[in-house]
Amino acid sequence: MKKAAALLLTLIALGGALGAQQQGAEALVDECAAYLAAFFQGRPDARVAVVALDDRAGLGDSGLQKLYQMLVARLEANRTIHFADLLVAVADGRAEFNLDRARELDFLVELRLVRSLDKVGLGLTVFSRLQDRVVALKYLERAIPAAERDLLQARSFAFAAMGFAKLLEFEAREGLMDIQSLPAADGTMQYYLYYPDEIVIYQAREAGLEKRFQFKLTWSRPYYPTRHPEGRLLLFRSGADLVLTAGGNFAPYSLVLTFRDGVWQEAGRVDFVPFRFVTLNGIPCLVGARWEEGRNFLKERIFFQPYGPTQPAGEGLMQKPVCAAMALDIAAADGQLQAVHAIDREYSYRMYGADLAESTPLPGKKGGALAALGGKWLALSDYRRSTDRLFFCDIRDGGLRPVYEAAVAGEVRFLAAGAWHDAPGFWAGVRQRDEDGGRLLVQFWGKANE
Amino acid sequence: MSRNARRLLAALTLPALALAGAIKPHYGGEIVVRLNEPSSFRLNTASYSNLILYSLIYENFFFLAPDGQISSNIFQEYRYDAAARTLLLTPRENLSFSNGKPLTAKNIQVSLKVFLSSDLFAASRLSKVVKNVRLNGEQVAVELLADRPDIVSLLTAPELVVLAEDEQSFSGLFYPQEWEKNQHLILRANPYYAGGRPYLDRVRVTFGDSPAPDLFLAAPGQFKESCLELDSGIYQNLYLCFLQPDIGQNTKIALFSLLKRFNEASGGRYRELSSLTSDDESPVAIRIKTLSPQKTAAILKTSEIRLYALSSLSFLEKDLTAFLKATNLTIETQFIDNSEFMAFLDSAAIKYVLVDRLFQRKAPPEEKLSRILKESSFNRFNAQYLRMLSELDEARFSNSPELLTEQIARISEAIVNDGFLFPLFQRNYSLYIRRSWPTLETDYYGRPLLQRVSQAHD
Repeated sequence: MKKAAALLLTLIALGGALGAQQQGAEALVDECAAYLAAFFQGRPDARVAVVALDDRAGLGDSGLQKLYQMLVARLEANRTIHFADLLVAVADGRAEFNLDRARELDFLVELRLVRSLDKVGLGLTVFSRLQDRVVALKYLERAIPAAERDLLQARSFAFAAMGFAKLLEFEAREGLMDIQSLPAADGTMQYYLYYPDEIVIYQAREAGLEKRFQFKLTWSRPYYPTRHPEGRLLLFRSGADLVLTAGGNFAPYSLVLTFRDGVWQEAGRVDFVPFRFVTLNGIPCLVGARWEEGRNFLKERIFFQPYGPTQPAGEGLMQKPVCAAMALDIAAADGQLQAVHAIDREYSYRMYGADLAESTPLPGKKGGALAALGGKWLALSDYRRSTDRLFFCDIRDGGLRPVYEAAVAGEVRFLAAGAWHDAPGFWAGVRQRDEDGGRLLVQFWGKANE
Repeated sequence: MSRNARRLLAALTLPALALAGAIKPHYGGEIVVRLNEPSSFRLNTASYSNLILYSLIYENFFFLAPDGQISSNIFQEYRYDAAARTLLLTPRENLSFSNGKPLTAKNIQVSLKVFLSSDLFAASRLSKVVKNVRLNGEQVAVELLADRPDIVSLLTAPELVVLAEDEQSFSGLFYPQEWEKNQHLILRANPYYAGGRPYLDRVRVTFGDSPAPDLFLAAPGQFKESCLELDSGIYQNLYLCFLQPDIGQNTKIALFSLLKRFNEASGGRYRELSSLTSDDESPVAIRIKTLSPQKTAAILKTSEIRLYALSSLSFLEKDLTAFLKATNLTIETQFIDNSEFMAFLDSAAIKYVLVDRLFQRKAPPEEKLSRILKESSFNRFNAQYLRMLSELDEARFSNSPELLTEQIARISEAIVNDGFLFPLFQRNYSLYIRRSWPTLETDYYGRPLLQRVSQAHD
């Protein structure tokens, strides 16, 4: 008890210190927000966005992003203006914005942070699109002490207990396409690693995985050899059966296997690749998509197939249009379809609601791979080689709010929602290149406090 | 444009620039390749143009990279069992031809046997060491007469391809979809290609300059502004061949002189050739004194000459016919399909033939000479040449460069003295690709590897 009290006191003290340390940055942001509020006072319903943000004060990318987020919080709370958050990413001291929507705006705000002796200066320019000229200029400055700078520069994901952190990393054989997990009969978590020709099952150990067994997948013609194998594995329970479906871009069908008498037995096939098992209007359904045979993108259809012990195989297949996608996932919570998230062939993020009507938040947001964790989180990789990034976005309210960001050495090939021990999170297949050709790393990014 | 507008424009281009780093390659699109029009889809690798065309529709057993690395899309495993002196080839599972028909071990066995029975130098080299080719379940077992751990290197010949039972099935990256004679040929991506579907959807093979080709062959040192030049290392030698022993020496020299003059008249388009392989590597220079135009005309005017040429030399047809017509000599030209040439030999009394052979500069000269002797001596091949070939083999393994050079010189001398093959010209090739396309790689034989070519820069 004494110990707990001491810890609490330390936290309170630290919290107080942190609060004090952030005063400089907050004050600068407050002043900026106040100036903008006053400027837009006489211009109700003005559509405003920050379209440029440069750091010449040495705050670092994290510091720049935090300052921006503080400003956004204040501007979004301002009811007289319509503020649009167009931030896509911050890199190399410069923020990147989605400017596809710039035409819909009335005022564009440019911000520049500069160093002024021991202070940080903020240069602010407001450009009116209608008048095609700069309509306001303002310079503000505040002292931001070194300790506060350190705090600004500490990335959110540095706090593993709060954000997503890399909890596990191991090297895998080339060709790995997906990972899914399911508790075994004894309660231990089993991890299914899906390759085009086999599934290898591992069991969690304290700080790693231990191989349990593997089984071959037998495909038949037509078979489409591919340079870039992609596929999805789905594990679920249907009645008393444990069911596994596996498909990919190399076959026009997916295998459906059930676990009986200690072995996986083929129980049928479906003509698409199931991503989720959900209930629609009280009917259990496999929901999925179909890859273009032999290629690396998915066709512009979502398929729904009623599935159950009494359901005749192949009957009742329905399809709905979506965009052709480089990556796609279906968010479901409590067995109910929430949304379809996709990265289209132009690498733009797209979202479809439960009714499959498009309602893309953050239009212009780019991505490479993605995966949805229930209806809560969406992990999205950047679309760059060598120095990829992961964005963890909150999708609980049907939007897309980037919350955490992590740098990844290599390129993210696939993302899959899962769990490591008790921590929910995402599996990431990361390809690293080197002189010998490279290697495939599997990382688990988890959120321990959920 | 205001400063801010410029800034905005610059910022708007950022996402587009960032897309250049997109992690997935783009599937789709078309490349335009200019090649010579083939006579059929039956495998025929006699010319460099054909070598490229047929590499697109027929899959090789093995690929040889310029650095000597060997790889295969067809076999999931190949293993040499030294104790059994057997090479075991295991094809990948579920392979199909372009029309979806299964590609099995049986197709591999048959294709290998077809190759072994062909009249190619590479085939005769292989057949010397192969005892039997049999099926072993889903494997093909190649039994050897002697221990040859390097057997796979003998299977990298560009002519060793996977053939289907029917002529409408293809094993290569692409398959023919549409052929408009004298215009173009459309090849479509083979969805079942063993190495994984190519990124491109189509290859448009044009036989002329319209539309402007993205990939084409031409003499080296051109198109520096618009294209990347790839030194293919390939050259094509042209020979005048006398198939019958009763042709007088004067007639031979006169016809030879006439053809040399043809090159002069066409502005020296082709490089003069004074050896059987290449002038810079041959230990022997062959100098055949040409006759004056008057003397040539005097000798040839009384003869009725029909000059045959292989269809791989069809690029000569227009100019050569016009040149011969202008000489007022009664010389007719006739082009024969390469694949039909051997059959033609038996059925007609062909006396004069223009033939060509394609060589890779990196190949050793003794190998080239063996090919000439084996593939170009036709019905003049006799015990003497067979002995010379064996002696050349001996010299190759003697590790004595002097002995090897001496033997090459002896063979060259014998061929020219026997008077059945006179070297005429050499054509050098470079492969050009427009700069708007990503870097293209070639294999050891100078064939472009289109499988990795994607229209978008990824």
